[in-house]
Amino acid sequence: MNIIDAPAIAHIAPGPARWAAVAVGPLRGGGFHLGGILLPLLVIGGVAYGVTRLRRGRRAAPHDDQWIRPEPPPPPPSPPSSPPEPSGETAVVPAVAPALGTRTATSLERPAGGWAVETRALTKRFGANVAVDGVELRVPRGSAFGYLGPNGAGKTTLIRTLLGLTRADGGTMSLLGLPVPAERKRALASVGAIVDEPRFHPHLTGRDNLRLLAAARGGDAGSRIDPSLERVGLTQRAGDKVASYSMGMRQRLGVASCLLGDPKLLILDEPMNGLDPAGMHAMRAMITSLATEGRTVMLSSHLLDEVQRTCDAVAIVDHGRIIRQGPIDELIRGAGAMVVHVDCSEPARAAQLIEQAGIAQGTEVSEAGLANAGLTITLPAAASRELVADINRRLVGAGISVYGLQEIQTSLEDWFLSVTSRLGEAS
Amino acid sequence: MTTTEPSLSAGGTETSGYRRRAAQAIGGWLPTWDLITTKNLEIRKRRGLIITVVVLVVAPTVLIYGLRLLFHAVDPQSYGLAGSPGIFSQLTNLMAEFGFIAAAALGAAAGTTDLSDGMFRHLVITGRSRLALYLARIPAGLAITIPIVALAFLMNCLVTSYESPPPPTSVSVYGLTVPGHLDQAELQTWLLQRPQQVASNGGPIIGPPPSNAAQIRSSIDKNISSIYADYSSDEISGSSPADNEMAKIGLWLELEVGIGYLVGLGLGSLTGQRTTATIMLIALEIIVTPLLARVQIPYFIDGQRLVVGIAMDQLRPAALQASALAGGPGQLLFGGHGALGIPAMPTWAMISVIVGWVIGWSAIGAWRMLTRDA
Repeated sequence: MNIIDAPAIAHIAPGPARWAAVAVGPLRGGGFHLGGILLPLLVIGGVAYGVTRLRRGRRAAPHDDQWIRPEPPPPPPSPPSSPPEPSGETAVVPAVAPALGTRTATSLERPAGGWAVETRALTKRFGANVAVDGVELRVPRGSAFGYLGPNGAGKTTLIRTLLGLTRADGGTMSLLGLPVPAERKRALASVGAIVDEPRFHPHLTGRDNLRLLAAARGGDAGSRIDPSLERVGLTQRAGDKVASYSMGMRQRLGVASCLLGDPKLLILDEPMNGLDPAGMHAMRAMITSLATEGRTVMLSSHLLDEVQRTCDAVAIVDHGRIIRQGPIDELIRGAGAMVVHVDCSEPARAAQLIEQAGIAQGTEVSEAGLANAGLTITLPAAASRELVADINRRLVGAGISVYGLQEIQTSLEDWFLSVTSRLGEAS
Repeated sequence: MTTTEPSLSAGGTETSGYRRRAAQAIGGWLPTWDLITTKNLEIRKRRGLIITVVVLVVAPTVLIYGLRLLFHAVDPQSYGLAGSPGIFSQLTNLMAEFGFIAAAALGAAAGTTDLSDGMFRHLVITGRSRLALYLARIPAGLAITIPIVALAFLMNCLVTSYESPPPPTSVSVYGLTVPGHLDQAELQTWLLQRPQQVASNGGPIIGPPPSNAAQIRSSIDKNISSIYADYSSDEISGSSPADNEMAKIGLWLELEVGIGYLVGLGLGSLTGQRTTATIMLIALEIIVTPLLARVQIPYFIDGQRLVVGIAMDQLRPAALQASALAGGPGQLLFGGHGALGIPAMPTWAMISVIVGWVIGWSAIGAWRMLTRDA
């Protein structure tokens, strides 16, 4: 065998060749050398370490155990009389809304029980793209809270960050008053969540999937499998493989999996996705009943109507930032205006008359479409009903026949489109 | 304003208390029994995968012995007994090869299906330690592979023990027919008493042919150790392994399969792709390892020794190795790579390589599980 004398080469060769000869020396055939094992291990270890460092550097996550960059401890929660100040574009609306139905009021003042979800300057980046941008979110305990935004606004990313499914790049957060990630495991013990489309092992039955999750939860979660299945109406199909389930059934199984932990907080990401009208109705009823029991339900959706029907309060997110949050009716009232439709004989002259009269600052006049002949007047939010009567008097006084005056309720959709940047994109 | 705490319990009692429930849910890094059994259920219910594992591990044994038993029963004159040391050896090698591949496929599946089925995030949201989730997969999968391999090997052992010809009373060494069951001294005595017979058969004489009986005896005395080694090897290869040897072979086989599962699990968890991990391990087992075991690459012999299959070949029990050697050099595919073409490594190195693969791949898989976005 032609064996190179490594020590000899090392002795005479300069520079890299010398080092190479020293390195391969132990690898020569024949005997067994410790260096032959250690050298490849060191190389592999070095490469792995380097790759890990690089990835960490890109993500700016300094330690495996830390899910977010270390931040100074959050300031003590504000007393009820002084709600958190708005920061940047985030507007925190003071509480004025009464409770909806029998549910807890959803004031964004700090409730006595604290926040179910609270984030401060929460940030998550994917390379140059900032998916969650300094989010300041407050979800009152016991509320049904909508997290509303167009597709791609960062809703799911925020939820994934809250639940520890991905690391945050900055900011602080807490679930049920427990700071995460420090107390994440304790917090998650009382949290149920569906993130994205609810997917399960398709080759297992619904019940077996729940058994798997109950085993992971531990405690008495196993005893809640049957009640949870019954609660979501899946008892009859619990023995069937999930592969045979419809989307609606999988959504319901997802809710059942959330209930295994008897959660105080439910986070549901787009639970209406893929459901037919009946399924949406059933899901809406289920969410409402869960909220009625005193659980906090945080519902992420891009379906404005569903959020308006289901939730007490809402946060609007766009491009990773929360641009408004508060009780729904409060936000609509505060952000919008009083819109009055006037059904009259000469809309064009009526519009001119009202514009010339300068009835109220900020008043907008536009002719309605042919299908709904008349005039739409947008008045400032602070406008009184007496102003509407004044408009009527002026029109009648000018010889214009007024057939009807109707105050139009601003919908969440109108308001949403007015405050998000997607209005321009949609049009 | 007052907030209402949830009071509904879907079956549990609120008196258990938040902290206690939280503590139970958190658990430690050790997986609970429930976690292991449910994970085992999840793997077990993958019918296609389990059928593949059974076909790879059990079916060859059942098929070969079934046919041999049938032929012997129908025509005992033409067909001998179903079992034999050679068949035992070949089937065991086949079991080791296919068992490794089947276990690797099972491990890769166990390491990836939570992710691919979308269950991983459900599991993470429960708050259970990710390490516990990973560790639960180890006993859950081994509880499937080990019994299947044990069943196939048990069949092999039973047929070999009860349906094999009796062990030969003599051993053929260097063309000489030597009585069996001799120790080294007895063999030396037997050879020294027959110098002419040894010489005429071209027997175990090293060096130039001796010209007289004294030189023959001298040569026998000098080479008795290597002569006895060959004699023992030939004797073992002609007999069915003893019970204790079979037990050793069985343990070695389970270790091989266990390594396959753990490496598959770690690689599957690392890549997150079942197919990729499985293909890589099949290539390792049937192409890379046999090549590296057979061909000595200059200056890279210690690198070759880092392959777990080569370390496992060196650990192969003597009875099985002797059988394999007696059958000629191992085939590139399916015949096992028992005939090592490279010098043996020290025992500590062999154990280090095996332990390193097991711990290393488990650590890599667990690390990926801990750091992966769900």
